[in-house]
Amino acid sequence: MRCVAVGLKRNTWGGALRLPNLLSCLLLCMGGATFAQQVADTLHLGAVEVAKPRLAAFSAGTKVQRVDSATLARYANADLGTLLANETPVFVKSYGLGGLATTSFRGGSANHTAILWNGINIGSPMNGQSDLSLIPMGVADAVSIQYGGGTALWGSGALGGSIHLENKPHFGQGLQVAGGVAMGSFGENRQQLHGECSTERSATTIGLYNSAAANNFRFTTGQHREQRMPNATFRQYGVLLGQQLRVGKADRVGIHYWGQLANREVPPTLQQELSTAFQVDASHRVMADWHHAGATWGTVVRAALLDERLDWYGSADSTAATSRAQTLVAEAELRLRPAGPHLVDMGVNGTFAEASGAGYPKGVRQGRQALFALYRYHPAKGGFTGSASVRQEWQDGRSVPITGSIGLEYRMRPWAVLKAQGAKLYRLPAFNDLYWQPGGNPGLLPEDGSSSDLGVALQHRWKRWDLRTEITWFNRTVQNWIIWLPGPAWWSPGNIMQVWSRGVETDSRIVWKQGRSTWLLGAITNYVVSTNQVAKSRYDEGVDKQLIYVPMYSGNARIGWQRERCSVTLSGTFTGYRYTSTDNRDFLPPYWLLNARASVRVLENSRWHADAFVQGSNMLGAEYQVVMDRPMPLQSILAGVGMRYSRPNKTKLATP
Amino acid sequence: MNTRKLIALLLLLPALPACRKDKPEPREEQPAAATDHGVYIINEGNFNWGNAAVSWYNKATGQAVEDLYAPANGTPLGDVLQSMTLHNGNGYLVVNNSGKVVVVDPDNFRAVATITGFTSPRYLLPVGNNKAYVSEMQGNKVRVVDLASNSMIGDITCRGWTEEMALAAGKVFITNESRKYVYVVDPGTDAVADSIAVSSGGNSIVEDANGKLWVACKGGGGTPPALCRINPATLQKEATFNFPGSSASPWRLAVSGDGNTLYFLNGGVFRMGIADNALPALPFIAEQGRNFYGLGTDPQEGTVYVADAIDYTQRGRVFRYTAEGAPMDDFLAGRIPGGFVFR
Repeated sequence: MRCVAVGLKRNTWGGALRLPNLLSCLLLCMGGATFAQQVADTLHLGAVEVAKPRLAAFSAGTKVQRVDSATLARYANADLGTLLANETPVFVKSYGLGGLATTSFRGGSANHTAILWNGINIGSPMNGQSDLSLIPMGVADAVSIQYGGGTALWGSGALGGSIHLENKPHFGQGLQVAGGVAMGSFGENRQQLHGECSTERSATTIGLYNSAAANNFRFTTGQHREQRMPNATFRQYGVLLGQQLRVGKADRVGIHYWGQLANREVPPTLQQELSTAFQVDASHRVMADWHHAGATWGTVVRAALLDERLDWYGSADSTAATSRAQTLVAEAELRLRPAGPHLVDMGVNGTFAEASGAGYPKGVRQGRQALFALYRYHPAKGGFTGSASVRQEWQDGRSVPITGSIGLEYRMRPWAVLKAQGAKLYRLPAFNDLYWQPGGNPGLLPEDGSSSDLGVALQHRWKRWDLRTEITWFNRTVQNWIIWLPGPAWWSPGNIMQVWSRGVETDSRIVWKQGRSTWLLGAITNYVVSTNQVAKSRYDEGVDKQLIYVPMYSGNARIGWQRERCSVTLSGTFTGYRYTSTDNRDFLPPYWLLNARASVRVLENSRWHADAFVQGSNMLGAEYQVVMDRPMPLQSILAGVGMRYSRPNKTKLATP
Repeated sequence: MNTRKLIALLLLLPALPACRKDKPEPREEQPAAATDHGVYIINEGNFNWGNAAVSWYNKATGQAVEDLYAPANGTPLGDVLQSMTLHNGNGYLVVNNSGKVVVVDPDNFRAVATITGFTSPRYLLPVGNNKAYVSEMQGNKVRVVDLASNSMIGDITCRGWTEEMALAAGKVFITNESRKYVYVVDPGTDAVADSIAVSSGGNSIVEDANGKLWVACKGGGGTPPALCRINPATLQKEATFNFPGSSASPWRLAVSGDGNTLYFLNGGVFRMGIADNALPALPFIAEQGRNFYGLGTDPQEGTVYVADAIDYTQRGRVFRYTAEGAPMDDFLAGRIPGGFVFR
């Protein structure tokens, strides 16, 4: 009853009773229930501390969301942007199917999220961000999302959070082949094939994917006419290759290649008569790593070469505006596990990037070096884990302010874990900020700031019930926030804003078994206030106002049912007001989307299994815009089949 | 505090900051009428955001209306309003990134026609009773438009990004942002007749009391920022005032109603007499932490209107000054106010 009173009081302050408030209240009620049993320890992932990924070993106190394999399977035909929009509190600013999609992580900007592929930051050095629609989910077999500042662990850019895509080794699994085809509304068709052949010493993988859509959905124009979206076709295809070898008992070496080509037309806005523009994005990414995991020490050495090219065409007969960047990354870590509860990691990172194109002066390049040290304290008893990290980076010989973080995690009860983290943050300006002609500002300072998180994770297993909830409160300030403003002659970036972001995220899930059925009920709520605290010019009315395109309230809820060979998931997402003017006067209205998916196993034997699925998006046909004047499709359907063939080795060894 | 109380307290945390209201105040937009004594403010709007608008400032009442077009027509005007021209009882709104010219009744602002087929139109100049030229940023063409049928009837090949135009001595003078020439077009033949070398980045052109044309150039490509004076009768450049250094960027050239005083933006607002022998050293109106984006002078009263785009993502503010530079008052316009049309 106490929480209900709080909810009502808050509504008195805040005006009308709103669904996000109700959800918060519901969660409070859930939190008030007695949780008296054991929580699975999210920290203890394995006995071999030395071999743990950096994320698992040194992120005590932060919220880490690991996308489970069932969810990954559901998104096998989607891109990272769609997964984040539907399954996480991260706001995805999407221009539509296949179009540009960027993140706002806890009220940050698009370049405040680090996206790492096997530990390598794949964000573009040109604009400092990643287009999520160019990252199909098939490229990774494990996805983790770390919330909060992590620049000491991952380097420049991880101010709001980081997303980790991994290709994990699967030694001794024999031959595994998985493939799928799907077709849907607006000419959407997708195919992917993934094969893996492994012994206990070697694992070879090959993946191919292709997706395309005419994307000519119906929408209502600004003049209230109904028409189909023109110039919106996209096609994307790519290849993934991987070879991993186990050498002796403690060493593993691997090499991965990911190549991709995307050809996307750029549809007109509601206010444009027509658009003939299209863009081609091509990328090649190669990375190699060596892992040594001994009893008391280990090492990871990784190197990567990233090459990306963007060709923009105003029309089919115009010449391309080309931008190209190459990045070479080399990183080495030494991990020590002395006696006792200590784990130490020391590393060095060197990144060299260069870019070319009409917008850059000749020979634009940047060298960055970083030293980092990480420490974890985790006694066998007491339920306490602490971690600390420190990082010093140099950009072209100039030192960047030193950053670091401290995280604490304390298991107060078997069913309750308290988390706290504080971090210093930074982001180096991207090439476009520094060198774009005209306007680039080589005198830009790095963005810098600090963040703190406080959270509690509860889990309760009781008979056939599994309940878990995690609530996180965060607070972050960033100075020298870079924005572009028109100058006397052209647009130019400056260290102009000071942004204060704060809010609360909740992530709750109930799973229960009833007879042969398993039910799942989940909800994510997100409250973010992200405001600029300094006047950008003398008469700025945007001080202490919400940043544009950052929803204050958002959330999603889902209900799933699974019984033997069938499963059904129904999910709804809510996105609140997003302002389109810094004085918060202009806005896009909130929207609800209802999505549904049903799948059935149509074939299952010792070697083969096959699932057929059908999914509907925006089932209620909501007319909405994520980005102003970029209409989104009404109802759409995608249906397909996924198959898997498995032929295990005769003698199977466990994956290390 | 025992653990259970601590956890209960933590669970209450979501309630603490959740007192911000996100629902914006509703906006009341009623169709408004423009009277004979007022100023249209051309609000460019953000590129690709479709939020161009025309504000109206009533000089008699001092009241400003944020947008005339959307309430009158039930639909937004379009994407990037570059300019507006009054001619023969019509208003011609050149909507750059929508590739169209919308013809409106200047009193009630209802759209009466739309001229389409442009690539990225910038300015419209009537060159006859029913004929006008429209400059284009892309496409290397100036378009010829029939104002009776409201349709495009031809092209004039003219390389580069054509910008503001002026009709003088029976010729049309076309500034060019990407080339260092002012192009001269014969409106009888619709063909380029000549070109006059100035500086690169020619962006605005006005006619003074002596019938001479003044062109503001931002410079670039090895040419300095400059103000140039052209004799339209001889097609010769008569005078050049180069700005020291390459960081200057003169634009939005305007002229007083009597044609004797020039105004332009170069950060702040600068004022120069047409007989002056040198560029003004100090601003007539200092920018003082504002982002000046538009400039206009009332031809009747001499009042100077200067628009502050603030951060380009909120409503801009218009400041009024007397002809002597004394501040009068200010009012809010639409997004990115860039120009003024007086009636």
